[in-house]
Amino acid sequence: MNFKVIDLIIGVFSGILIAFAVCRIVPAHWNMLAGMFAGGVIGMALKFALLILLAPFFGAFEVMIPLSIIAMIVGMTSGMAVSHGGIPQALIASGGGTIGFAIAVLIYYSNKKLVTFK
Amino acid sequence: MAEKKSYDRFAQVFDFFRTGDMRRWGRKQKQHFQQMRGKVLHVGVGTGMEILNFPPDLDITCVDLSPKMLERARWRGTQYQGKVHFALMNAESLAFPDNTFDTAVAVCVFCTVAHPVAGLEELRRVLKPGGKLLMFEHVLSKNPVYGLSLRFMSLLTEALEGTHLDRDTVANVRKAGFTLEYEKNVYLDIVKAIAAVK
Repeated sequence: MNFKVIDLIIGVFSGILIAFAVCRIVPAHWNMLAGMFAGGVIGMALKFALLILLAPFFGAFEVMIPLSIIAMIVGMTSGMAVSHGGIPQALIASGGGTIGFAIAVLIYYSNKKLVTFK
Repeated sequence: MAEKKSYDRFAQVFDFFRTGDMRRWGRKQKQHFQQMRGKVLHVGVGTGMEILNFPPDLDITCVDLSPKMLERARWRGTQYQGKVHFALMNAESLAFPDNTFDTAVAVCVFCTVAHPVAGLEELRRVLKPGGKLLMFEHVLSKNPVYGLSLRFMSLLTEALEGTHLDRDTVANVRKAGFTLEYEKNVYLDIVKAIAAVK
């Protein structure tokens, strides 16, 4: 499969997975700041697990850079959303997937602009 | 010594962890290494994955400080259409006389060498005047977001396997006395193909 497609799929699914994990771990109606912090930590922990799993197949840096950004942003925003309470898990998970997709697209265009070895 | 032991341990899984990188970078490495000429020194050969991206009919001397890595590189050397020799050696103290090689090659090595400028000066010493240095290395991004991710990850990779993700290898090449021919970005401004002349 084309690496461009793979990178997008990794972005979407890692976003969904991190958001879903935060929903399962962070308790609802927590202090939002604590939720944000816990979400960031969970995101980072999952980032390392995903990196070990995916980098051997799809390249270390091409996986590490998007995952680092996705893990931090999705983890923190999901943590805040969960601790706010009343937001369905499915919505938080799909939000994570959307952020993952957006970051993968941004990195694709950033790479296109920066690469000088054609 | 601790460095050597850690590479010996890592040798068993090295190929598996580099498969993705080779898939991504293989074509560009082949293109970059087309400039290899004459007597070649390949420092930090690892398990020799890059040998298959080298043009044929060269006389290549591969060095690494890990016996286990070299053991694995040897069978890859048998698949190369040209001469390949292997030697157990540290990139920072090469046992070759001055002005021996026409080309020196390094792939993801100077992120790990303990004293990168000293290592590059050593490469410069063994290169003939006008000899070429060809590198395929990762460096610290100038983009603050990517740079922050690399600095953060570097804390972990330095502790685990001594790999620095926050080095400015292009500046180090200049500091070692080489004249930079070009630096081309392969992935973002992190993975670079570098060519320099003694």
